[in-house]
Amino acid sequence: MGTLCSHVPVEILHAFGVLPVRLWGQAEEIGRADALLQTYICPPVRNLMALSLSGRYDFLDGLIHTYCCDATCGLFNIWRRNRKPRFSRMVSLPYQATEEAVDYAVAEFRGLIDALADFTGKPFSEETLAGSIRLYEQARGLLRDLYRLKKEGAAIPYSEIYRLNLLFQLLPIERFIPLCREYRPPAAEVSARQIRILLSGSVVADEEILERIEELGGRIIADDTCLGLRPLQGRIAENGDPLRALAAFYLGRPPCASRADLPSRRRYLMETIASTKAEAVIFIHQKFCDPHLSDHPLLKQTLEERGIPQLQFELEGEGGEGKGLTGQVQTRLEGFFEMLEGRAWR
Amino acid sequence: MEMKKTRKRLQANGRLREIITDFYADGHRAKAEGRPVVWIPPMNGMIELFYAMDIHPVFPENWAPLCAAIGTNRQNFTSAAERGFSGDLCGYFRNNVGYALAGIEEPNQPLGGLPKPDFLISFGAGCIPTQKTFQVLCDHFRVPVIRADLPQVAMEEIKEHHIRYGVVQTERVVRFLEEKTGHRLDMDRLRQAVIYTDEACRLWDEIMALRATVPAPFSAAEIGIMFVMVTRHGTKIAVDFLREVLAEVKEKVARGEGVIPNERIRLFWDNIPLWYNMAIFNYFEKWDAVVVAETYSAAWSLRLDPERPMESLVYKSLVSYPLVSCVSLEKRLELIVKAVREYKIDGAILHSNRSCKPISMGQMDIGRVLAEKLGCPSVMFDGDHMDGDRFSFAQFQTRIDAFMEMLRERKNL
Repeated sequence: MGTLCSHVPVEILHAFGVLPVRLWGQAEEIGRADALLQTYICPPVRNLMALSLSGRYDFLDGLIHTYCCDATCGLFNIWRRNRKPRFSRMVSLPYQATEEAVDYAVAEFRGLIDALADFTGKPFSEETLAGSIRLYEQARGLLRDLYRLKKEGAAIPYSEIYRLNLLFQLLPIERFIPLCREYRPPAAEVSARQIRILLSGSVVADEEILERIEELGGRIIADDTCLGLRPLQGRIAENGDPLRALAAFYLGRPPCASRADLPSRRRYLMETIASTKAEAVIFIHQKFCDPHLSDHPLLKQTLEERGIPQLQFELEGEGGEGKGLTGQVQTRLEGFFEMLEGRAWR
Repeated sequence: MEMKKTRKRLQANGRLREIITDFYADGHRAKAEGRPVVWIPPMNGMIELFYAMDIHPVFPENWAPLCAAIGTNRQNFTSAAERGFSGDLCGYFRNNVGYALAGIEEPNQPLGGLPKPDFLISFGAGCIPTQKTFQVLCDHFRVPVIRADLPQVAMEEIKEHHIRYGVVQTERVVRFLEEKTGHRLDMDRLRQAVIYTDEACRLWDEIMALRATVPAPFSAAEIGIMFVMVTRHGTKIAVDFLREVLAEVKEKVARGEGVIPNERIRLFWDNIPLWYNMAIFNYFEKWDAVVVAETYSAAWSLRLDPERPMESLVYKSLVSYPLVSCVSLEKRLELIVKAVREYKIDGAILHSNRSCKPISMGQMDIGRVLAEKLGCPSVMFDGDHMDGDRFSFAQFQTRIDAFMEMLRERKNL
């Protein structure tokens, strides 16, 4: 089943023997999407529509989304109407994590459970769900360990953590866990001169940019992105009703720009900077992304008040795989790192 | 030459102008008299609650069209841009943020400007630009804020647990308001407000149904009457005004009086109007064409139960945004197909609106469904409901003129 948001409760899918496949990507011809979407919709959404229309996702049995932003909601409904997947479900989560909100989220999850039971012909069992939760908790823990090692100085390229993170969202979890456990970072020294970077954005999926940041002397020690560390944070309580624990976990996630308010995003950004000793923030945004572009000026202001340098650029998504690192982005990154090095020498 | 001011023909427009002026004057009166002023999003706004508690509601989203009509939107956009907000963001957002952060301190604002809020309601609900507008406002005005939830659910998917959760959230808002004002919510007054809203919705439907008459008694140029549906729900003002409109429209229908002398082509308008250029609706008249229905025609087709006031308001709030956006794409398509049938539409004008992604997404499907199901042709043009710089009248003309000629040929005119 394809999933469009990191709030989709993958544990429930797993409990029905359904493989969750996180969807992202860059189409060869983004213009294919123009038949169904306007060009002022963000590149990730247009790319997904183009990929879907090119038949890349024909192997999927269905599509599941948790309501987040306007553009992905539109994508979900337009996809469902035009591509007619055999199964589709929107889960509407509340925006807070109060007791009543958890009750409500449990009801939404139950709706998903009933629909999946119908679709797969399998009964739901709490024990199976508890088992699925244990597997995903294990996998998230392994990935968090990699982030921690990197933060503590291990020479793990961020792009490798990123790739493992994608595998976590694509492979059967039983295959991912041994693969992640066997991962050994390349033996290389980390230069003491590297600058600790926090990355922020939504679907940040351009490996060339990630690699370039580290080539220029940055070390991405943490991120605040949909495909990165944000979905790995938090723990699912082991005692009690597993469905309730799962609901509380998803509602208690680090703040997402589409769902959270500004104070909680600001707090999370500053806490992450403090706990990772990040020296600078790079915001990688998607053109036309309302949630992130609305938050950015105020987050930038907070960083400036605290003397933390930041860089922001927007990706336009044209031109296929790996084309995010345009000449302009390259120049801005180089200028930013020159400035950071200058500061370090002073 | 490009005309900006629309030609309105309903007598009720005189009364509407008074209602608009009075609504804004009332805000200033409230401030002067020490009555609390609250800024709220119109979608999920629960206006009735505020009127029942003598709190004056201010709707930035209703203020923005006024700024666009008068022209202060440009300065507000500049103020937002100076603070780093991207020009790609929704025009309501840029206008309201620019106004709140700068324009509010400037003299010569339309209708005396907006009174500053004594507190703010920040909803997790509605479209992202509305949510974000309120987050910026909460950050700027250092006043008490309550954050409440109302999840987005397609109208056809609303279940008991959605209503239940909405009621819990509304009760939180009530407790917050009671604490801040020191007054208890009087349930009888709330019930009365719900009765007014229910009657307003009923009248709205009755008025809109009369537009199915050939010739149509009024066009989209008069859509300003929805001002009372946004700002005066829960009050007698809306009910009295809509009764007046209904009576006038009924008389027009009885006399067989149309918008123009010789109506030959009937159009549907999808998406928000160009608030800075409402004369666009008169543009079609040179082909004897009238825009007889639009996105908002069916936006308040619901009934409220005064015996269950909270549940009714929650339901109204839950459907208000999905019904006109891509959240309820299937329901929206169903309503448009119904409108095209009932209003005897010859062609649809789809305003692809850079300022509103959630209403614009799905328009390609709308065009195709109308063509395939009803053989109704449509045309799409690029525009923006707030920002005139993103709308080219020349390009609009090129597309629309060709479309209108095609419609004329189809009808053998």
